[in-house]
Amino acid sequence: MYRALYTAASGMETQQLNLDNVANNLANANTAGFRRRRLQFQDLVYQNLVSPGAAATQQTIYPAGLQIGLGARTAASEVIQLQGDFNQTGNPLDMTIQGQGFFQVQLPTGELAFTRSGAFHLDQTGIIVDAQGNQLQPAITIPASATNITIGSDGTVSVQLPGQQQAQQVGSIQLATFANPGGLSSVGNNYFLETTASGNPIVGTPGGTEGLGTILQGSLENSNVDVVGEFIQMILAQRSYEANSRVVHAADQMFQTINGLTS
Amino acid sequence: MNSGFYSAYTGFAARLDALDVIANNLANASTSGFKSQREFYRSFSAWLQPSLTTPINQAVNQFGVLGGARLDLSQGTVEPTGNDTDLALEGPGFFTVLTKNGLRYTRDGSFRLDKNRNLITDQGDQVLSEQPNRRDQPIQVPSGKMTISPDGSISVDGALVAKVRVEDFPADTQLTQEGNSYFVAPAAAVAGKPPASTTVQQGSLEKSNSDAIRTTVALIDLQRTAQTMERALAIFHNEFNRTAAQDLPKV
Repeated sequence: MYRALYTAASGMETQQLNLDNVANNLANANTAGFRRRRLQFQDLVYQNLVSPGAAATQQTIYPAGLQIGLGARTAASEVIQLQGDFNQTGNPLDMTIQGQGFFQVQLPTGELAFTRSGAFHLDQTGIIVDAQGNQLQPAITIPASATNITIGSDGTVSVQLPGQQQAQQVGSIQLATFANPGGLSSVGNNYFLETTASGNPIVGTPGGTEGLGTILQGSLENSNVDVVGEFIQMILAQRSYEANSRVVHAADQMFQTINGLTS
Repeated sequence: MNSGFYSAYTGFAARLDALDVIANNLANASTSGFKSQREFYRSFSAWLQPSLTTPINQAVNQFGVLGGARLDLSQGTVEPTGNDTDLALEGPGFFTVLTKNGLRYTRDGSFRLDKNRNLITDQGDQVLSEQPNRRDQPIQVPSGKMTISPDGSISVDGALVAKVRVEDFPADTQLTQEGNSYFVAPAAAVAGKPPASTTVQQGSLEKSNSDAIRTTVALIDLQRTAQTMERALAIFHNEFNRTAAQDLPKV
């Protein structure tokens, strides 16, 4: 009897989550390396009041059944791995990945985190670290006397030392990719962690056959949030919420009518 | 007693059930691959066996009840998402999925790869392949750039890997909805090839075909009809029955 009320409530709930997701995407529109998420909805179970094809009489069957669905739910929030656009910064330690790879960063817990944000710096010992101070893996140390840092598209890091003609190679950046990057878990600070759904990281040299992509020095990848698209999502969520609240209102009025019948 | 009282009541009750159908259509306005239901009413006496013979008997037993809800299998709009593993079907047909309860059909192509690089749905169920030698096998996609052509062939870096199995059913097949955007076909149903005009679009999803305008109009219609029924009930209740019960005995 009160199905319609709960069905509409489930619709309102999913649209509210939709709006929460839009809000987070928009809030991160300027976060370098941010990956937007998209919510995926599904219908809930159905009540079979009349099964389609059930016998109406001995000779005839019901041509269409009466299945009443009980609303919608949020099934998943998928990380969208579209490339964001590049932003030239000129900073030698800013890097963009052109492809599907992730930088690997070691967290203080020893765990590896994966990030698309290529804004790196040097710490007091000359090791390449990210904005949180966590080391890029494999760790690379830049000598204090280096005058120029060059990062090749394949991740080779070389420096120019004073008094030397030849550039000296100090390390090589490796990238990681996943069978299912949509299944990574976001933990804030632009970090992703591997999960059983994402599979184990496949680590390799940039530019290889794994689809890791190549590294572009001196630029940062902007977030892949599409502001116009998010606004459209926001309008859809709002209008859909309104439509569901109309159903609540209609159901309420009809029940009111029933209660008024006895007078 | 007065059969109109029951007619009006049945009409009102049918609108209450129809409200549930409409509520579900609206709640799923953002569910990819969702197909809305269209409610229909039928006359109760038409289903009585043997049918009523005298006109007066037919008139007093003519009740309008909710006959059921038909699946509206019309195409939803296709929206680009940019994800290589998101597929949308344009035209009739369903993707075939192997669940633990057997084969299920869906138009929600928000697929992804699991850790073994098998193509799976949001529920983690495997999407099936169609190639003759690999029919009903899961689709394992090697690493590399995945392209899916309009006929459903999946290639990675130019090499053909598998073909997504798309099935269609004759128009009279009674598909039932199961939730999770899955449809169940009756055991006797014969799945066949979709028409050649059906294409698979990579990087897009089919939105719900729940039509906000139609549903809102249906909602208003339903509310107003229910009010009319209520008015009829009130007349029977207040004018006829009360007159019969209170005023007549005074005579």
